[in-house]
Amino acid sequence: MPSKKHLHIESSGQLCIYCGACVGICPLNCIYLDETRITFDEKVCTRCEICVKACPVGAIEIG
Amino acid sequence: MPDLKTEVLVIGAGPAGSMTAKWAAKNGAKVVMIEKRQEIGSPVRCGEGISKSWLEGVGIKPGRWINLEVEGARIFSPSEKVFEINEKDAGNEVGYVVERTAFDKQLAIDAANVGVDVFLKTAAMTMLKENGRIVGAKVKRGGETFEIRAPITIGADGFESQVGRWAGIPTNISTRDMDTCLQYRMTNVDCDVRYCDFYLGKVAPGGYVWVFPKGEGLANVGIGVQVSKVTAMADARTYLDRWIDHHPGYAKGKKIDMVGGGVSISAPIKQTVADGIMLVGDAARMIDPLTGGGIANGCIAGKICGTVAAEAVHAGTPTKEFFQQYEKGWRALLEEKLYRNWLAKEKLVQLSDDVFDKVIDVLQGYKLEKLSVHNILKAVHEKYPEVTKEFEEFL
Repeated sequence: MPSKKHLHIESSGQLCIYCGACVGICPLNCIYLDETRITFDEKVCTRCEICVKACPVGAIEIG
Repeated sequence: MPDLKTEVLVIGAGPAGSMTAKWAAKNGAKVVMIEKRQEIGSPVRCGEGISKSWLEGVGIKPGRWINLEVEGARIFSPSEKVFEINEKDAGNEVGYVVERTAFDKQLAIDAANVGVDVFLKTAAMTMLKENGRIVGAKVKRGGETFEIRAPITIGADGFESQVGRWAGIPTNISTRDMDTCLQYRMTNVDCDVRYCDFYLGKVAPGGYVWVFPKGEGLANVGIGVQVSKVTAMADARTYLDRWIDHHPGYAKGKKIDMVGGGVSISAPIKQTVADGIMLVGDAARMIDPLTGGGIANGCIAGKICGTVAAEAVHAGTPTKEFFQQYEKGWRALLEEKLYRNWLAKEKLVQLSDDVFDKVIDVLQGYKLEKLSVHNILKAVHEKYPEVTKEFEEFL
Protein backbone atom coordinates (compact mmCIF):
# COMPACT_ATOMS: atom_id res chain seq x y z
CA MET A 1 0.00 0.00 0.00
CA PRO A 2 1.42 3.40 -0.89
CA SER A 3 2.15 5.55 2.10
CA LYS A 4 -0.10 8.54 2.64
CA LYS A 5 1.08 12.05 1.87
CA HIS A 6 2.07 14.23 4.76
CA LEU A 7 -0.64 16.62 6.01
CA HIS A 8 0.31 19.47 8.28
CA ILE A 9 -2.08 21.85 10.02
CA GLU A 10 -0.30 24.92 11.36
CA SER A 11 -2.43 25.60 14.41
CA SER A 12 0.07 27.21 16.76
CA GLY A 13 -1.47 30.55 15.78
CA GLN A 14 1.15 31.73 13.30
CA LEU A 15 -1.27 31.16 10.44
CA CYS A 16 -4.36 29.43 11.82
CA ILE A 17 -7.20 31.71 12.97
CA TYR A 18 -9.29 28.84 14.44
CA CYS A 19 -12.23 29.61 12.17
CA GLY A 20 -13.42 26.03 11.77
CA ALA A 21 -13.73 26.11 7.97
CA CYS A 22 -11.67 22.91 7.65
CA VAL A 23 -13.68 21.18 10.38
CA GLY A 24 -17.00 21.91 8.69
CA ILE A 25 -16.04 20.79 5.20
CA CYS A 26 -14.08 17.62 6.10
CA PRO A 27 -16.10 14.82 4.45
CA LEU A 28 -14.84 12.28 6.98
CA ASN A 29 -15.31 14.48 10.05
CA CYS A 30 -11.77 13.80 11.19
CA ILE A 31 -10.59 17.36 11.98
CA TYR A 32 -11.17 18.65 15.50
CA LEU A 33 -11.13 22.22 16.80
CA ASP A 34 -10.53 22.61 20.51
CA GLU A 35 -10.56 26.42 21.09
CA THR A 36 -6.96 27.09 20.04
CA ARG A 37 -5.79 23.72 18.82
CA ILE A 38 -6.65 21.82 15.67
CA THR A 39 -5.94 18.14 15.33
CA PHE A 40 -6.88 15.52 12.77
CA ASP A 41 -7.13 11.77 12.79
CA GLU A 42 -4.12 10.55 10.84
CA LYS A 43 -5.69 7.13 10.27
CA VAL A 44 -9.09 8.29 9.02
CA CYS A 45 -7.81 11.17 6.84
CA THR A 46 -7.51 10.18 3.16
CA ARG A 47 -5.58 13.35 2.17
CA CYS A 48 -8.43 14.45 -0.08
CA GLU A 49 -7.08 18.01 0.28
CA ILE A 50 -10.49 19.64 0.56
CA CYS A 51 -9.46 21.24 3.87
CA VAL A 52 -6.42 22.75 2.17
CA LYS A 53 -8.74 24.58 -0.23
CA ALA A 54 -11.23 25.53 2.47
CA CYS A 55 -8.62 27.18 4.70
CA PRO A 56 -8.83 30.94 4.05
CA VAL A 57 -5.32 31.64 5.33
CA GLY A 58 -3.25 28.75 3.99
CA ALA A 59 -2.56 27.08 7.31
CA ILE A 60 -2.97 23.54 5.94
CA GLU A 61 -0.26 22.04 3.79
CA ILE A 62 0.01 18.70 2.09
CA GLY A 63 2.97 17.13 0.36
CA MET B 1 -19.06 17.79 38.31
CA PRO B 2 -21.72 15.10 38.85
CA ASP B 3 -23.85 14.07 35.91
CA LEU B 4 -26.81 16.34 35.15
CA LYS B 5 -30.36 15.87 34.00
CA THR B 6 -32.44 18.38 32.13
CA GLU B 7 -35.33 18.37 29.69
CA VAL B 8 -33.73 20.17 26.75
CA LEU B 9 -29.97 20.36 26.11
CA VAL B 10 -28.91 23.04 23.61
CA ILE B 11 -25.38 22.67 22.21
CA GLY B 12 -24.02 26.03 21.07
CA ALA B 13 -24.91 29.52 22.29
CA GLY B 14 -24.95 31.43 19.01
CA PRO B 15 -28.11 33.21 17.88
CA ALA B 16 -29.94 30.01 16.82
CA GLY B 17 -29.04 28.19 20.05
CA SER B 18 -30.02 31.06 22.34
CA MET B 19 -33.26 31.58 20.43
CA THR B 20 -34.16 27.89 20.67
CA ALA B 21 -33.25 27.80 24.37
CA LYS B 22 -35.31 30.90 25.10
CA TRP B 23 -38.45 29.68 23.39
CA ALA B 24 -38.18 26.23 24.97
CA ALA B 25 -37.84 27.78 28.44
CA LYS B 26 -40.60 30.33 27.82
CA ASN B 27 -42.89 27.43 27.01
CA GLY B 28 -42.12 25.70 30.28
CA ALA B 29 -39.18 23.37 29.57
CA LYS B 30 -36.13 23.02 31.77
CA VAL B 31 -33.20 24.00 29.54
CA VAL B 32 -29.41 23.77 29.76
CA MET B 33 -27.39 25.54 27.03
CA ILE B 34 -23.68 24.77 26.69
CA GLU B 35 -21.05 26.82 24.86
CA LYS B 36 -17.51 25.58 24.21
CA ARG B 37 -16.01 29.06 24.21
CA GLN B 38 -15.38 31.15 27.30
CA GLU B 39 -17.12 34.15 25.85
CA ILE B 40 -20.44 34.08 24.01
CA GLY B 41 -20.20 35.85 20.63
CA SER B 42 -16.41 35.83 20.45
CA PRO B 43 -14.47 35.38 18.24
CA VAL B 44 -16.79 36.87 15.63
CA ARG B 45 -17.11 34.88 12.41
CA CYS B 46 -19.40 37.16 10.54
CA GLY B 47 -19.79 40.27 8.41
CA GLU B 48 -22.26 41.56 11.01
CA GLY B 49 -24.99 42.65 8.61
CA ILE B 50 -28.61 41.69 9.30
CA SER B 51 -32.00 42.69 7.93
CA LYS B 52 -34.63 44.17 10.24
CA SER B 53 -38.06 42.84 9.35
CA TRP B 54 -37.85 39.49 11.19
CA LEU B 55 -36.58 40.69 14.56
CA GLU B 56 -39.91 41.57 16.13
CA GLY B 57 -41.49 38.24 15.16
CA VAL B 58 -38.92 36.26 17.13
CA GLY B 59 -38.96 38.65 20.10
CA ILE B 60 -35.66 40.50 19.63
CA LYS B 61 -35.79 44.18 20.63
CA PRO B 62 -33.35 46.71 19.13
CA GLY B 63 -30.57 47.37 21.63
CA ARG B 64 -27.03 48.47 22.17
CA TRP B 65 -25.81 45.77 19.77
CA ILE B 66 -26.74 47.97 16.79
CA ASN B 67 -23.73 49.82 15.35
CA LEU B 68 -25.71 51.62 12.72
CA GLU B 69 -28.67 51.49 10.40
CA VAL B 70 -28.08 51.54 6.64
CA GLU B 71 -30.39 52.82 3.90
CA GLY B 72 -29.62 50.02 1.48
CA ALA B 73 -27.11 47.99 -0.46
CA ARG B 74 -24.88 48.88 -3.37
CA ILE B 75 -23.92 46.16 -5.81
CA PHE B 76 -20.70 46.84 -7.74
CA SER B 77 -20.00 45.13 -11.07
CA PRO B 78 -16.40 44.20 -11.98
CA SER B 79 -15.92 47.55 -13.77
CA GLU B 80 -17.60 49.15 -10.74
CA LYS B 81 -20.88 50.19 -12.18
CA VAL B 82 -23.21 50.52 -9.22
CA PHE B 83 -26.75 49.38 -8.58
CA GLU B 84 -28.47 50.60 -5.43
CA ILE B 85 -31.09 48.55 -3.63
CA ASN B 86 -33.40 49.83 -0.95
CA GLU B 87 -32.82 48.21 2.46
CA LYS B 88 -36.19 46.42 2.41
CA ASP B 89 -35.37 44.66 -0.87
CA ALA B 90 -31.72 43.99 -0.25
CA GLY B 91 -31.78 40.53 1.31
CA ASN B 92 -31.11 39.21 4.77
CA GLU B 93 -27.77 40.90 5.44
CA VAL B 94 -28.81 44.52 4.96
CA GLY B 95 -30.57 46.76 7.50
CA TYR B 96 -28.51 46.96 10.66
CA VAL B 97 -24.77 46.54 11.02
CA VAL B 98 -24.40 44.94 14.41
CA GLU B 99 -21.78 44.19 17.02
CA ARG B 100 -22.04 40.39 17.06
CA THR B 101 -20.32 39.97 20.42
CA ALA B 102 -23.02 42.19 21.95
CA PHE B 103 -25.86 40.73 19.86
CA ASP B 104 -25.05 37.12 20.76
CA LYS B 105 -24.68 38.03 24.42
CA GLN B 106 -28.04 39.83 24.42
CA LEU B 107 -29.75 36.75 23.00
CA ALA B 108 -28.08 34.58 25.64
CA ILE B 109 -29.17 37.06 28.33
CA ASP B 110 -32.74 36.89 27.02
CA ALA B 111 -32.54 33.10 27.30
CA ALA B 112 -30.99 33.16 30.78
CA ASN B 113 -33.63 35.62 31.97
CA VAL B 114 -36.42 33.16 31.20
CA GLY B 115 -34.69 30.37 33.11
CA VAL B 116 -32.12 28.79 30.78
CA ASP B 117 -28.96 27.57 32.57
CA VAL B 118 -25.87 28.56 30.57
CA PHE B 119 -22.58 26.65 30.89
CA LEU B 120 -19.51 28.28 29.36
CA LYS B 121 -16.27 26.55 28.33
CA THR B 122 -18.27 23.36 28.07
CA ALA B 123 -17.79 21.31 24.90
CA ALA B 124 -19.82 18.33 23.71
CA MET B 125 -17.55 15.32 23.21
CA THR B 126 -20.04 12.81 21.89
CA MET B 127 -23.74 11.95 21.95
CA LEU B 128 -25.28 9.67 24.53
CA LYS B 129 -27.36 7.02 22.76
CA GLU B 130 -29.87 4.52 24.10
CA ASN B 131 -31.73 2.11 21.82
CA GLY B 132 -30.72 4.16 18.80
CA ARG B 133 -32.02 7.45 20.16
CA ILE B 134 -30.06 10.46 21.40
CA VAL B 135 -30.45 11.03 25.15
CA GLY B 136 -28.01 13.88 25.76
CA ALA B 137 -24.29 14.41 25.44
CA LYS B 138 -21.02 13.62 27.11
CA VAL B 139 -19.36 16.98 27.75
CA LYS B 140 -16.03 18.32 28.91
CA ARG B 141 -15.51 21.37 31.07
CA GLY B 142 -11.98 22.20 32.10
CA GLY B 143 -10.41 18.84 32.79
CA GLU B 144 -13.67 17.22 33.79
CA THR B 145 -15.87 14.98 31.71
CA PHE B 146 -19.49 14.40 32.66
CA GLU B 147 -22.86 13.57 31.16
CA ILE B 148 -25.81 15.86 30.57
CA ARG B 149 -28.87 13.67 30.06
CA ALA B 150 -31.90 15.08 28.30
CA PRO B 151 -34.76 13.59 26.29
CA ILE B 152 -34.19 16.35 23.71
CA THR B 153 -30.85 17.58 22.40
CA ILE B 154 -30.55 20.55 20.05
CA GLY B 155 -27.55 20.81 17.71
CA ALA B 156 -26.89 24.54 17.30
CA ASP B 157 -23.15 24.14 16.91
CA GLY B 158 -22.67 26.21 13.80
CA PHE B 159 -21.01 25.62 10.46
CA GLU B 160 -18.54 23.06 11.81
CA SER B 161 -21.37 21.11 13.46
CA GLN B 162 -20.43 17.79 14.96
CA VAL B 163 -23.76 17.08 16.59
CA GLY B 164 -25.62 16.30 13.36
CA ARG B 165 -22.91 13.97 12.18
CA TRP B 166 -22.66 12.19 15.55
CA ALA B 167 -26.42 11.75 15.44
CA GLY B 168 -26.29 10.27 11.95
CA ILE B 169 -28.07 13.16 10.20
CA PRO B 170 -26.37 13.81 6.83
CA THR B 171 -25.11 17.41 6.84
CA ASN B 172 -22.03 17.03 4.60
CA ILE B 173 -21.69 19.64 1.89
CA SER B 174 -19.66 19.71 -1.29
CA THR B 175 -16.96 22.24 -2.16
CA ARG B 176 -19.44 23.85 -4.59
CA ASP B 177 -21.74 24.51 -1.66
CA MET B 178 -19.26 26.24 0.63
CA ASP B 179 -17.59 29.63 0.62
CA THR B 180 -14.36 30.13 2.52
CA CYS B 181 -14.39 33.56 4.13
CA LEU B 182 -11.93 36.04 5.56
CA GLN B 183 -12.61 39.48 6.96
CA TYR B 184 -10.60 42.37 8.33
CA ARG B 185 -12.05 44.98 10.60
CA MET B 186 -10.42 48.13 9.27
CA THR B 187 -10.20 51.66 10.57
CA ASN B 188 -9.56 54.89 8.68
CA VAL B 189 -11.34 53.70 5.51
CA ASP B 190 -13.48 55.78 3.12
CA CYS B 191 -16.73 53.84 3.23
CA ASP B 192 -20.23 55.27 2.94
CA VAL B 193 -22.16 54.67 6.16
CA ARG B 194 -25.45 54.73 4.25
CA TYR B 195 -24.78 51.43 2.47
CA CYS B 196 -23.59 47.87 2.79
CA ASP B 197 -21.47 47.32 -0.33
CA PHE B 198 -21.05 44.12 -2.37
CA TYR B 199 -18.47 43.65 -5.15
CA LEU B 200 -19.14 40.87 -7.66
CA GLY B 201 -17.13 39.03 -10.27
CA LYS B 202 -13.58 37.70 -10.53
CA VAL B 203 -12.53 39.76 -7.50
CA ALA B 204 -14.19 36.97 -5.48
CA PRO B 205 -14.88 33.81 -7.55
CA GLY B 206 -18.18 32.25 -6.53
CA GLY B 207 -18.70 34.80 -3.77
CA TYR B 208 -18.26 38.52 -3.24
CA VAL B 209 -16.25 41.16 -1.43
CA TRP B 210 -18.27 43.02 1.21
CA VAL B 211 -17.83 46.31 3.01
CA PHE B 212 -20.16 46.76 5.96
CA PRO B 213 -19.70 50.15 7.66
CA LYS B 214 -19.56 50.34 11.44
CA GLY B 215 -19.27 54.13 11.79
CA GLU B 216 -16.42 56.58 12.40
CA GLY B 217 -14.26 55.26 9.57
CA LEU B 218 -14.55 51.68 10.78
CA ALA B 219 -15.78 48.86 8.51
CA ASN B 220 -15.82 45.11 8.08
CA VAL B 221 -14.08 44.37 4.80
CA GLY B 222 -14.38 40.73 3.88
CA ILE B 223 -14.54 38.13 1.17
CA GLY B 224 -16.17 34.81 0.43
CA VAL B 225 -14.73 32.51 -2.25
CA GLN B 226 -16.43 29.31 -3.40
CA VAL B 227 -14.19 26.45 -2.28
CA SER B 228 -14.52 24.65 -5.63
CA LYS B 229 -13.03 27.73 -7.30
CA VAL B 230 -10.01 27.92 -4.99
CA THR B 231 -6.81 27.23 -6.92
CA ALA B 232 -4.06 27.93 -4.40
CA MET B 233 -3.47 27.94 -0.67
CA ALA B 234 -4.86 31.02 1.09
CA ASP B 235 -6.76 32.15 -2.01
CA ALA B 236 -9.35 33.95 0.11
CA ARG B 237 -6.67 36.09 1.73
CA THR B 238 -4.84 36.67 -1.55
CA TYR B 239 -8.03 37.87 -3.29
CA LEU B 240 -9.03 40.09 -0.36
CA ASP B 241 -5.58 41.66 -0.04
CA ARG B 242 -5.52 42.28 -3.79
CA TRP B 243 -8.95 43.93 -3.68
CA ILE B 244 -7.86 46.20 -0.84
CA ASP B 245 -4.62 47.11 -2.64
CA HIS B 246 -6.64 48.19 -5.69
CA HIS B 247 -8.96 50.45 -3.68
CA PRO B 248 -7.06 53.47 -2.32
CA GLY B 249 -9.89 54.34 0.11
CA TYR B 250 -9.29 50.99 1.79
CA ALA B 251 -5.58 50.50 1.11
CA LYS B 252 -4.88 53.50 3.35
CA GLY B 253 -6.84 51.89 6.20
CA LYS B 254 -5.42 49.89 9.06
CA LYS B 255 -6.41 46.35 9.93
CA ILE B 256 -7.31 45.89 13.56
CA ASP B 257 -8.84 42.43 13.50
CA MET B 258 -8.92 39.35 11.26
CA VAL B 259 -11.56 36.65 11.37
CA GLY B 260 -12.56 33.80 9.10
CA GLY B 261 -14.96 30.97 8.69
CA GLY B 262 -16.94 28.70 6.45
CA VAL B 263 -20.36 29.50 5.04
CA SER B 264 -22.62 26.87 3.51
CA ILE B 265 -24.28 27.94 0.28
CA SER B 266 -26.17 24.70 -0.22
CA ALA B 267 -29.71 23.74 -1.05
CA PRO B 268 -31.76 22.90 2.08
CA ILE B 269 -30.78 19.52 3.53
CA LYS B 270 -33.38 16.75 3.58
CA GLN B 271 -33.48 15.99 7.29
CA THR B 272 -32.93 18.10 10.40
CA VAL B 273 -34.47 15.85 13.07
CA ALA B 274 -34.08 12.33 14.44
CA ASP B 275 -35.24 10.64 17.64
CA GLY B 276 -34.24 12.86 20.55
CA ILE B 277 -32.53 15.48 18.41
CA MET B 278 -33.15 18.56 16.28
CA LEU B 279 -30.64 20.69 14.34
CA VAL B 280 -30.99 24.45 13.95
CA GLY B 281 -29.18 27.37 12.30
CA ASP B 282 -25.90 26.97 10.41
CA ALA B 283 -25.65 23.41 11.78
CA ALA B 284 -28.82 22.64 9.79
CA ARG B 285 -27.43 24.43 6.70
CA MET B 286 -30.05 27.16 6.90
CA ILE B 287 -27.77 29.91 5.56
CA ASP B 288 -29.18 31.79 2.57
CA PRO B 289 -27.04 30.50 -0.32
CA LEU B 290 -27.28 33.77 -2.24
CA THR B 291 -26.35 36.26 0.49
CA GLY B 292 -24.50 34.01 2.92
CA GLY B 293 -26.63 35.40 5.75
CA GLY B 294 -27.54 32.89 8.46
CA ILE B 295 -28.70 34.82 11.52
CA ALA B 296 -32.29 35.61 10.52
CA ASN B 297 -33.01 32.07 9.34
CA GLY B 298 -31.36 30.55 12.41
CA CYS B 299 -33.44 32.70 14.74
CA ILE B 300 -36.71 32.16 12.85
CA ALA B 301 -36.15 28.37 12.92
CA GLY B 302 -34.93 28.60 16.53
CA LYS B 303 -38.23 30.00 17.73
CA ILE B 304 -40.10 27.09 16.14
CA CYS B 305 -37.51 24.57 17.35
CA GLY B 306 -37.71 25.77 20.97
CA THR B 307 -41.49 25.84 20.95
CA VAL B 308 -41.74 22.31 19.53
CA ALA B 309 -39.10 21.07 22.01
CA ALA B 310 -41.18 22.34 24.93
CA GLU B 311 -44.33 20.74 23.52
CA ALA B 312 -42.50 17.43 23.13
CA VAL B 313 -41.34 17.64 26.75
CA HIS B 314 -44.91 18.19 27.96
CA ALA B 315 -46.30 15.43 25.74
CA GLY B 316 -43.47 13.05 26.66
CA THR B 317 -42.81 12.36 22.97
CA PRO B 318 -39.27 13.41 21.95
CA THR B 319 -39.57 11.43 18.75
CA LYS B 320 -38.72 11.97 15.13
CA GLU B 321 -42.44 11.82 14.36
CA PHE B 322 -43.29 14.55 16.88
CA PHE B 323 -40.40 16.70 15.66
CA GLN B 324 -41.99 16.81 12.20
CA GLN B 325 -43.82 19.88 13.55
CA TYR B 326 -40.46 21.61 13.57
CA GLU B 327 -39.26 20.07 10.32
CA LYS B 328 -42.43 21.17 8.54
CA GLY B 329 -42.63 24.47 10.42
CA TRP B 330 -39.23 25.83 9.46
CA ARG B 331 -39.54 24.51 5.91
CA ALA B 332 -42.88 26.28 5.47
CA LEU B 333 -41.19 29.61 6.28
CA LEU B 334 -37.74 29.18 4.74
CA GLU B 335 -37.35 26.23 2.40
CA GLU B 336 -38.77 27.63 -0.83
CA LYS B 337 -36.60 30.74 -0.65
CA LEU B 338 -33.50 28.75 0.29
CA TYR B 339 -34.02 26.50 -2.71
CA ARG B 340 -34.78 29.35 -5.09
CA ASN B 341 -31.72 31.28 -3.93
CA TRP B 342 -29.56 28.17 -4.25
CA LEU B 343 -30.66 27.85 -7.90
CA ALA B 344 -29.88 31.52 -8.45
CA LYS B 345 -26.47 31.05 -6.84
CA GLU B 346 -25.72 28.08 -9.09
CA LYS B 347 -26.28 30.40 -12.08
CA LEU B 348 -24.53 33.45 -10.66
CA VAL B 349 -21.28 31.62 -9.93
CA GLN B 350 -21.00 30.83 -13.66
CA LEU B 351 -21.35 34.41 -14.89
CA SER B 352 -18.40 36.17 -16.49
CA ASP B 353 -17.30 39.66 -15.51
CA ASP B 354 -18.67 40.89 -18.84
CA VAL B 355 -22.15 39.61 -18.01
CA PHE B 356 -22.06 41.08 -14.49
CA ASP B 357 -21.14 44.43 -16.05
CA LYS B 358 -24.00 44.25 -18.52
CA VAL B 359 -26.53 43.30 -15.86
CA ILE B 360 -25.50 46.07 -13.47
CA ASP B 361 -25.28 48.54 -16.38
CA VAL B 362 -28.94 47.93 -17.17
CA LEU B 363 -30.04 48.01 -13.56
CA GLN B 364 -28.31 51.25 -12.61
CA GLY B 365 -30.46 53.20 -15.04
CA TYR B 366 -33.62 51.23 -14.46
CA LYS B 367 -36.41 51.91 -12.02
CA LEU B 368 -37.47 48.50 -10.81
CA GLU B 369 -40.94 48.44 -9.32
CA LYS B 370 -40.06 45.58 -7.06
CA LEU B 371 -36.75 43.85 -6.75
CA SER B 372 -37.04 40.24 -7.82
CA VAL B 373 -35.00 37.87 -9.95
CA HIS B 374 -37.85 37.96 -12.48
CA ASN B 375 -37.92 41.76 -12.73
CA ILE B 376 -34.14 41.99 -12.99
CA LEU B 377 -34.06 39.47 -15.83
CA LYS B 378 -36.89 41.24 -17.62
CA ALA B 379 -34.95 44.52 -17.48
CA VAL B 380 -31.75 42.89 -18.71
CA HIS B 381 -33.63 41.04 -21.46
CA GLU B 382 -34.78 44.31 -23.05
CA LYS B 383 -31.22 45.49 -23.61
CA TYR B 384 -29.14 42.31 -23.75
CA PRO B 385 -31.39 39.40 -24.80
CA GLU B 386 -28.33 37.17 -25.34
CA VAL B 387 -27.40 37.53 -21.66
CA THR B 388 -30.72 36.20 -20.39
CA LYS B 389 -30.77 33.19 -22.72
CA GLU B 390 -29.40 30.93 -20.02
CA PHE B 391 -31.97 32.14 -17.53
CA GLU B 392 -35.11 31.42 -19.46
CA GLU B 393 -36.49 29.13 -16.76
CA PHE B 394 -36.56 32.11 -14.40
CA LEU B 395 -38.43 34.37 -16.85
